[in-house]
Amino acid sequence: MNKKPFDEMLKQEIQNLPDEITPTRELWPGVERAISSEAMEISASTNIKPWLGVAVCLGAALFSVLMIMKQEPNNAVLIADFFESQKQSLLVRYQSQPALTDNWQAQLVELEAAEAAIRQALDEDPQNAALLRMLSQVYQQQLDLITKVHQPTWQQI
Amino acid sequence: MIIDAKHAFEKEQEHALIDRCINGCQRSFADLFTRYEKKVYALSLRLSADPSAAEDITQEVFVQVWNKLAQFQGQSKFSTWLYSVTSNIAISYLRKQKNWLQRVVSSEDVGMESVEVDACPMLGGLDKLIVRLPERARLVFVLHAVEGYRHEEIATMLNMAVGSSKSQYHRARQLMQEWYENE
Repeated sequence: MNKKPFDEMLKQEIQNLPDEITPTRELWPGVERAISSEAMEISASTNIKPWLGVAVCLGAALFSVLMIMKQEPNNAVLIADFFESQKQSLLVRYQSQPALTDNWQAQLVELEAAEAAIRQALDEDPQNAALLRMLSQVYQQQLDLITKVHQPTWQQI
Repeated sequence: MIIDAKHAFEKEQEHALIDRCINGCQRSFADLFTRYEKKVYALSLRLSADPSAAEDITQEVFVQVWNKLAQFQGQSKFSTWLYSVTSNIAISYLRKQKNWLQRVVSSEDVGMESVEVDACPMLGGLDKLIVRLPERARLVFVLHAVEGYRHEEIATMLNMAVGSSKSQYHRARQLMQEWYENE
């Protein structure tokens, strides 16, 4: 059987190439997942609440203090000074603003009691890393409590 | 006259569909996907000569299109823009698949073996020859002969000299002629 000349065949075949070929697997679910997760990431990044900024700053401050802790001899005092000044400035800032819960001061007293217990333990063992970490956490909880009960966006969460 | 009106209506419909996608409507994007999925896959398969890679490329194309659709100016046809995005993503995908040794010695992938081609029911006619071509010859052939790009454009896309693009095209034709006449 005679074949067509190559050039003729090529020209004809290029014109007749199928415009569409069907893939063997479903491709839409993967695309949908990818674009949905990207949309969620964008939405999350644009809906950041104002108090999160405060929390991030405090977190960064906490990190800085922990870094300093490695070099300073009296770590507990350093942490206490830092957080006490933060706490007082927050209390002053929010003193004229109504709180969203009635019992926040009772919660604060409980946290302060925990703080006192940890500091007492640190008097015995000033370099105990676990205790220092607990002290930082309990201070952080106090700051978070004061901030959140005075932020209007708290109710929307 | 009727055909012109039909084309104008379809173009109008597509513009409205694209506008809805730009505004974040995923359902409209699913319609756009359905409309073009097989076309994008056909081009991806010709460029990659690998059915599985072509599926990955097709998905990547639509994810990128979703992100970049606002950049589509509407000056060219949407399909032209879409195939250009597809070609660039396919080229980039093939580059990423190469290991460091292949990049250093500039070795290129050979195309599919004829046994593999026979086992691929989705391929027919000229596609059976295209997918057997070595990578560079295949890319140049598909972009020039099938997609209509000029050698100058191909040289930029593939980061090669214009003369190399022309010689790869010639090489592709020679190989296909040899297979066509001897098999």
